[in-house]
Amino acid sequence: MEIILTIGLDALCYILTLLLVSIGLVIIFGLMNVVNMAHGEFFLLGAYSVVLVQKFGGPFWLAMIVGFVAVAIVGLIVEVLVVSRIYHRALDTILATWGVSLVIKQAIIIFFGPASQQVVTPFQAPAHFFGLVYPSYRLFIMLISVMISLCTFIILYRTNLGLMVRGVIANRHMSGCLGLNTQRIDRLTFALGSGLAGLAGVIMAPLMSVDPQMGLGFFLPGFLSVLVGGAGSPLGALWGAGLVGGGTSIIAAIKTPVVSQIIVFSMAMVVIRIFPNGILGRNR
Amino acid sequence: MLNIDCLHSAYIRGANILKNLSFHIKPGELVAVMGRNGMGKTTLVKTIIGLMPYLSGDIRFLEEKILGRKSYEISNLGVAYVPQGREIFKDFTVEQNLLLGVLGKKKKVSDFDLAYQHFPILAERRKQLAGTMSGGQQQQLAIARAIIGKPKLLLLDEPSEGIQPNIVHEIAATLKQISATESLTILLIEQNLELVTRLVDRVDFIENGQIVHSVDVKIIHEDPELVARFMSV
Repeated sequence: MEIILTIGLDALCYILTLLLVSIGLVIIFGLMNVVNMAHGEFFLLGAYSVVLVQKFGGPFWLAMIVGFVAVAIVGLIVEVLVVSRIYHRALDTILATWGVSLVIKQAIIIFFGPASQQVVTPFQAPAHFFGLVYPSYRLFIMLISVMISLCTFIILYRTNLGLMVRGVIANRHMSGCLGLNTQRIDRLTFALGSGLAGLAGVIMAPLMSVDPQMGLGFFLPGFLSVLVGGAGSPLGALWGAGLVGGGTSIIAAIKTPVVSQIIVFSMAMVVIRIFPNGILGRNR
Repeated sequence: MLNIDCLHSAYIRGANILKNLSFHIKPGELVAVMGRNGMGKTTLVKTIIGLMPYLSGDIRFLEEKILGRKSYEISNLGVAYVPQGREIFKDFTVEQNLLLGVLGKKKKVSDFDLAYQHFPILAERRKQLAGTMSGGQQQQLAIARAIIGKPKLLLLDEPSEGIQPNIVHEIAATLKQISATESLTILLIEQNLELVTRLVDRVDFIENGQIVHSVDVKIIHEDPELVARFMSV
């Protein structure tokens, strides 16, 4: 019983972290149609902002703010210099942002070196409940992930700002003709998506080895979640993260992580073959 | 109100669509631009609202130079645009579509009640997804979305396209009324004589990227051959 409960909690934790990573992707890839290969590096920058803040003795909550703001600014710069010129050329965004990802990764290696960095985990005392001992930091991650996802959905679907963002994405020219400053809204949206990737990096840093390659480990399943769930719909990310994340961690608990990767990736291929627009995706 | 002088515009250099076009509208005037396909009608309105590259010339709106400025700036000066094909936000509700007509304006003047009063069908369907409405209703929504931000000049590109005649008459009557009560100036691009004769005061004919003839709408009633000369293929 305890084992099942632990596996269930682990699966839920992985699903929610994947959701956290996917939310930025849903905005940038799903809504803005930019295949941002640098998304994993935005995640990486978030994780390194924890290293930096802790080096100066700063608390974890400060790292969360710094990670979000700093990566949002980096995203803004990338948008202005690179992405804003190629919105209408979706394929070219792959090459351009891949270049950005190389620059960021190398910059990290120059400043911090290629070795992995130590990050101090907040809330080290384990939590006891239902006769179960579980790392309290993982519970914190779940809570934060749910909160951030909810906030993002509310901003996108319940506010005027979100309406403008979705309007510009749906029809950039017409939105401009209605008086919306489309360039400013694009920038804001891209920065928000980037900042969320950074925040995901901050939150995951204590659980992972913080090194220049860490971005990839979440970037791939994150993309897969968005594709499986349906790129055009943020709710799809929840489905995708649930299937990909849940599948990966449950199978990994029963068999091995390698087997689970193989099974989940093959299943994802089948799902995408049957639902080319994702489970919740509409024809776009 | 709108003064266009010596405007040249082209998608590809050397293949000009508008050639030395000059065109003027006085405040409160209702003007239609008519002409065959490919003569530059849509290019003209798209250039006014800032969606087209241009080569040279001058466009002034209320004495302010607008040629070369961004669409959102031109919109904020008081120019509203109803494009060919309507381009409403299909996945958004009627209300959200109208809201998007307001949110971008610096002065957030809006009058939802007035828009709903002019187009009662939209009030009934304010929570409905715009894409699920009929063509005529979508056209009314596109017009309502344009006028809700209280523009001074309304650009309409073929609003009668694919719409039942009785709805076209209704739209003409509503626009005429709005123009009178809100002192709205209208530039209509149209091939449909029904709408033109019901709405405008003046008709300008465009041919090969130039305004070649300008007449009072009464002349159109008296001399149908005139229209045939500029419109028939």
